[in-house]
Amino acid sequence: MPRQIPWWIGGIAMSLLFYFSFSGFGANRPIGASTGMAYLSTILFGLDAEHYEYTAQIEQSGAWEGVMLIGVLFGGLFTSIFLTKSFHISFIPTLWKKRKNSSVKSRMLWSFIAGFLLVFGARLAGGCNAGHILSGGSQLAVSGIIFAIVALGTGVVMGRFFYKAKECKK
Amino acid sequence: MMDRIVNMFHIVANEGHGSVFVVLVIGFFFGAIIAYSRLDKFEKMAGFMIFEDTLVPRMAMTTVALSSVGFYFLVHFGYATFAVKPILLTGLVLGAFLFGIGLVILGKCPSAFFVSVSEGRVDTFVGVLGGMVGGAIFTYLYPLMKVWMGPDLGTPQVFDYFIDHSLLVVLIFSTILLITAYFLPTIEFRDPADFKEKE
Repeated sequence: MPRQIPWWIGGIAMSLLFYFSFSGFGANRPIGASTGMAYLSTILFGLDAEHYEYTAQIEQSGAWEGVMLIGVLFGGLFTSIFLTKSFHISFIPTLWKKRKNSSVKSRMLWSFIAGFLLVFGARLAGGCNAGHILSGGSQLAVSGIIFAIVALGTGVVMGRFFYKAKECKK
Repeated sequence: MMDRIVNMFHIVANEGHGSVFVVLVIGFFFGAIIAYSRLDKFEKMAGFMIFEDTLVPRMAMTTVALSSVGFYFLVHFGYATFAVKPILLTGLVLGAFLFGIGLVILGKCPSAFFVSVSEGRVDTFVGVLGGMVGGAIFTYLYPLMKVWMGPDLGTPQVFDYFIDHSLLVVLIFSTILLITAYFLPTIEFRDPADFKEKE
């Protein structure tokens, strides 16, 4: 078995899964993930729907995505053990070492801050990569297109300041 | 906490968006495709924004190109309904801005969080903890924030502006994405950590 599938097979497989989820044959709704993350956080921190307006507002969609994310965990685990064979405990990504630093403390601190910004930002925007860019883009949603331009544009500009310059090969 | 977790499955079982089994299967394949294409790696997700890898934009463009045509016909023939997110303009732009900063630093999107954790990446687990705090603080502050997240500009789709030619718009959109994905140069950051056994 190959250890990785090329981008075009990944793209075709992902769109077939999207057809299934989006249609009445599957779940009759598009895939999203950040509402599920927020919903899981309300479970973890005991923010119930009776007392918190936002929990009540996202309860239906959040529960669906929360259960889906449990499936994601097992799908990732199965693939990393049997297909990509990439399962191992690691602390710092290789490219981070090359373009930022080799400090575990620094990577952990930035990971926490970035994780916070990702979920907080996604909730403010009403969706993430999956909900806005992939599912939104597939419906030609103007909200998804605005999100994609602002988020990816910010990422490119931020990346330029945050990381060291790319080394030239020569 | 346990009762909330049980309730989560109970809601899914009763809300009519697929059985719990179907939702878990959708999640399983979603996670498996992300992991098998290596989309969850920092080198791919942050890498494309710092010009080290082009897998993410090529795969995302292919997905959106094929899904946009498929979704259009599924809705046209009555097998699905569009579920478009609203434009709450201030929240959308500010949220996307914060999300973009988080994305280039952590190198994972919320879909890939659990994939990376299941692969043994401790830094992503810390990112998930940050995300949990982010989600909880948003929930806590929501009554204060919802008042300035607008204006609500509704749920427009691009083809709403071209009512008589909606299929043509979808086909043009899809074609542009497919051609761009195909002609983007192949830049791949080959992570030595992934290929130890082979070398």
